[in-house]
Amino acid sequence: MNLDWLDAFLVYGLFSVLMVIGLALLLHLQLGLARIANFGIVGFWGLGMYAFGVLFVRVDWPFGEVWAFLISMAFGTLVAGLAGLAVGWVIADLDTDGVLVGTLGFATCVWIVATTEQDLTGGALGMGGLGFPYDIGSVKANETLWLAILAIVVALILYYVSRVHKSSYGRLLISIGDNEPLARSLGKRSFRTKLLLFAGTSAAMGFLGAIFGVMERFLDTGNLGIDITLAAMVALVVGGTTRTWGAVVGAALTVAIFDILFQSYIPFPQSWYGQAIPNIREMTFGAALILVLMFRPNGMLGEMRRDKLMRRMHGS
Amino acid sequence: MAADTSDTASTAEPTGGSAGSRPNVHIQDATKSFGGRVVVDIDDLILGTHPIEGLIGPNGAGKTTLMRMITHAISLDKGTVTLSAHDNDGPVVLSNLPTSSMAQHGVAKTNQVITDFEQLTILDSMLLSIAKGPDERAYKIYREQGLYADHIDEIQWYLDQFDFEDPYGFAGSAGEKKLLDIIRCLLLRPRVLLLDEPTAGLPDHVRDQLMELIKQKTAEENMAVVIVEHDLHVIWTMCDYVHFMAEGSVVLQGEPAYIRDHETVIEQYLGSGHV
Repeated sequence: MNLDWLDAFLVYGLFSVLMVIGLALLLHLQLGLARIANFGIVGFWGLGMYAFGVLFVRVDWPFGEVWAFLISMAFGTLVAGLAGLAVGWVIADLDTDGVLVGTLGFATCVWIVATTEQDLTGGALGMGGLGFPYDIGSVKANETLWLAILAIVVALILYYVSRVHKSSYGRLLISIGDNEPLARSLGKRSFRTKLLLFAGTSAAMGFLGAIFGVMERFLDTGNLGIDITLAAMVALVVGGTTRTWGAVVGAALTVAIFDILFQSYIPFPQSWYGQAIPNIREMTFGAALILVLMFRPNGMLGEMRRDKLMRRMHGS
Repeated sequence: MAADTSDTASTAEPTGGSAGSRPNVHIQDATKSFGGRVVVDIDDLILGTHPIEGLIGPNGAGKTTLMRMITHAISLDKGTVTLSAHDNDGPVVLSNLPTSSMAQHGVAKTNQVITDFEQLTILDSMLLSIAKGPDERAYKIYREQGLYADHIDEIQWYLDQFDFEDPYGFAGSAGEKKLLDIIRCLLLRPRVLLLDEPTAGLPDHVRDQLMELIKQKTAEENMAVVIVEHDLHVIWTMCDYVHFMAEGSVVLQGEPAYIRDHETVIEQYLGSGHV
């Protein structure tokens, strides 16, 4: 297959878009259904990345690199999941403001630990040594295959989310997000449900973080800023917080348009690519968020339509 | 049965199941205060020895607070609430359990104020009520059709009883929401059902249908029902036994006719001109 059209810039751009879609889909389960306003996405994502990277690079593995890689990936996922369990236990019964502050605080803790634990993480200088668990030839081929693997992972998350909407579990999440006291009075264990949801989705965020670390081949505390949280949050809100495809549409309208279309076809001055472009990106996302909240507060796809879904699933 | 300020009328053997085997809730030495004001102060009270019991009293008497104390929606300052369901489980101290355990033990309460899930349809609400923990695991993403197939007959039975405008849509009117709230509780198949002003907002013909349904379910399923209601026609016609509350305590108990004609009730609640 001829992949000449797929240059390194496009591979990285598509990788970023898919990463944001994956995170926004997980956020959709938390925020869109169960109403858990997680502003610490980067904390779980970054923890997964760093736990994976540190274990993979620092440990003198007695067996093959592929096994070391898989074990480290599993470790990154597990650590993020356990962090989700601990943070979830603290925030599950808090109101939205409390959840927001708690998760943001957790993300800050991860950044501080990654920056200060130099022996483990390389600190602000970062740490190299990460790589793909295969070598199929050129760098471009390796990166393209890794992009394809991420695409499969995100597709699986999307499929799971779409099934959740059609399942009793999805209805349970919606009921808890919608009216938690009423759900509890019907015997729904809301604390446990939110805790397990938060832990599971945090683990998945950690897994995506580890995938990102592999693509970067480098642990960089610069990736632990607010950018990825903001990108996922904006994508979801722009697309539609409560809709399955909201994350996809929102990421297409924000990250894809800016990171791929704008940067490919708008001739920004070369000197802007250091400081100005990232700032313009954040400003554009912020403006998109404001406009959507002003003119289409439920996002481009609008509100959840359980009536249509119920008719489609159970109607005669 | 005893109330703290006991003025209790003798009563005939309860109908529709013996008192000994009927699920009941025993409230002992229970108090609740808000801002220093004692809202509920019950020394010893058993609810559920008769099939359908009424709990009446003037506004602020503590009826709804007592209901919420039973389901542990609000915590007790002191005292205990115990469910005796006369099954293998033995007595269960409800006041030690979280609200979410009430349904599991067979205690359900409808809401005084209209309460609904804004994002769930009528059918959703009913399926939510029926679904048990194992149906709602995160990995059971294909369970929905099985759940629907297993319970559609029961759901359809309720839909046939009442004329919902669109079962696949959202509950629109206040009456539909109120009715749905009660049906959700009935679908839990409770052993003790607490109805907090169940007829408020319902059209007369729906109210009559609903009360008939409650009577039927009570007789068929050995369920104990406690009704808090200001529509006294419902109390006098539905209930086998009535508790009168005032200032946080049950001050009078007896059959409806006894309560209706008692001078304390007339003075404190009904007024001399009542019919």
